[in-house]
Amino acid sequence: MSDFSFDVVIVGGGPAGLACGIHLAKKGVKVLLIERGRFCGGKNLFGGVIYSESLKEIVPEFPKVDPFPAERPVTEEGYFIVSKEGVVKILHTKKTPEESFTALRAKFDNWLSEYALKKGVFIAPKTKVVDFLWKGSQITGVVLDRPKSFQDDRPTEISAKLVILAEGVNRVLTEKAGLVYGPFKPEEVVLAVKEVLQLPKGAMEVRLGVSENKGLAVEIIGEITSGLPGTGFLYTNKTTLSFGVGIFLKTLVDLNLKPYELHEKAKEHSIFKELFQGAETLEYGAHLIPEWGIKGLPKLYGNGVLVIGDSAGLVNPLFREGTNLAIYSGLMAADTAFSALEKGDFSAKTLKTYEDRFKESYIYKDLILLKDLKEFLFRNSHFFSIYPDMLYQSLSLYFSAQGRYKRDVIREIFGIIRKKRGLFGVLKDFLNIGRLFW
Amino acid sequence: MVGSVNIDEKISSVKFFVDEEYPHLRIKDEKVCLKCNEKPCLNFCPAGVYRLTEEGSILISYQACLECGSCRIGCPFENIIWSYPRGGFGVNYKFG
Ligand SMILES: Cc1cc2nc3c(=O)[nH]c(=O)nc-3n(C[C@H](O)[C@H](O)[C@H](O)COP(=O)(O)OP(=O)(O)OC[C@H]3O[C@@H](n4cnc5c(N)ncnc54)[C@H](O)[C@@H]3O)c2cc1C
Ligand code: SF4
Ligand code: SF4
Repeated sequence: MSDFSFDVVIVGGGPAGLACGIHLAKKGVKVLLIERGRFCGGKNLFGGVIYSESLKEIVPEFPKVDPFPAERPVTEEGYFIVSKEGVVKILHTKKTPEESFTALRAKFDNWLSEYALKKGVFIAPKTKVVDFLWKGSQITGVVLDRPKSFQDDRPTEISAKLVILAEGVNRVLTEKAGLVYGPFKPEEVVLAVKEVLQLPKGAMEVRLGVSENKGLAVEIIGEITSGLPGTGFLYTNKTTLSFGVGIFLKTLVDLNLKPYELHEKAKEHSIFKELFQGAETLEYGAHLIPEWGIKGLPKLYGNGVLVIGDSAGLVNPLFREGTNLAIYSGLMAADTAFSALEKGDFSAKTLKTYEDRFKESYIYKDLILLKDLKEFLFRNSHFFSIYPDMLYQSLSLYFSAQGRYKRDVIREIFGIIRKKRGLFGVLKDFLNIGRLFW
Repeated sequence: MVGSVNIDEKISSVKFFVDEEYPHLRIKDEKVCLKCNEKPCLNFCPAGVYRLTEEGSILISYQACLECGSCRIGCPFENIIWSYPRGGFGVNYKFG
């Protein structure tokens, strides 16, 4: 006999699990969300930027909410391409800053969980799911890492008609459910380290030119990762900065590198040194990003079980999408769960509608579009080393060309390109990028 | 490269609720580590959890683990028994 019983049990209180829970509770379903952290968000870390559109799907009153869970609206967004000597900045001022916000996950997820509670989701924090209950090949509940009671040391069991896995990138239970064959590989994940930095009062506004209610979201490539495939990021929070670097775990293992040394080196690059002058590290942290893509996609459904969010690997690294895809997958799973409840049938056959819907979504189509990206980046690591140098040097010549015959300047620029990559090499690179997407 | 970075200092900015009773990380077979030449765990772990003792064995300070999951798959010999800490224990981000 199990100790408790719910219609749906959700494992994990990140955006995927919370979105799914909220959607189900709104429809009157008895749903329990289990989170191993002391509160939702306590274990979670990202860049990062949250997209309002996805959030509004679960919190329609957003942004008219109190307390406000986000840091700053993103009013300026773009890329820093960093070479050894300097930086080329591509910044775009947004016409619609209400589209996205910077956020800190400990705060954001916690806020969303408060909202979920109000909508009727039962939340059990400080609790880890360690196993499933099975009836034949059907998952019928979960086993917790808590004893039944003071008198009974055996683990608590919770029965559920349906279990939804939103356990994040380390998809241990997804593996246990038999939905994916073995753990992912070091080349399939990016390890990111990040710091939340506090600048002296007023310095952030002055140094980055952001006034109140303005915010910056920048992806950084090149020397920031010491020229290795990966990216850095810089986001403005209300009173702090988020600064991090992410590199494929395989690269770290193969080259025996310390991620925090790369991060520290990035902070000390001449273009950031001034920005971070006098900064205090309020918090350091690390997290994996799932980039196994379509090729490593787990089976999204089984008998009595569905997989959503990072556990399925739903991120788009090129477009910095993750939380929104987590939310959308949570909503799709909730719809499927709801029809299954109506039918009273939780077999894989019924739950397959989740996969059908997923395959119609842009999430799936994007994963297909990006299916060769990872290999492409590993094969073409010069995009992170040679190109930033080439771009910076060429533009240095271009912008200091006064007082010279311009034909010589242009020739010199071509000289740089020829020396660094070769005109034929550049042409080939562009063709290859084209081929990647068409 | 910057001189060696003090990871302990970075980790001291993070809040943990340490589970004194159950270490959630373990080495499967110490002999395998002795034969592992590169010992990448000493480097890729973002929390510096894996340290080398003078005798050449691996010491795990699981108390500082950020629960990223890298060592679950980063050890080339699959020599690490990995799990999350018990519910409520481990890293507890204030910002995240
Ligand atoms: C450095 C970095 C930068 C990023 N930047 C962005 C960005 O700018 N914009 C964006 O949209 N996305 C970004 N992402 C991606 C985004 O963070 C993820 O895609 C998103 O958090 C996935 O949500 P999720 O709910 O699937 O998983 P998670 O947020 O990881 O949540 C999983 C939850 O499950 C809990 N859990 C795990 N196992 C158990 C268990 N056994 N029992 C109980 N609870 C368990 C965990 O504690 C956690 O709370 C970034 C990611 C990283 C690492
Ligand atoms: S990488 Fe694995 S085998 Fe090598 S020393 Fe570390 S734990 Fe041991
Ligand atoms: S999970 Fe991450 S932080 Fe923890 S020991 Fe492994 S590599 Fe280090």
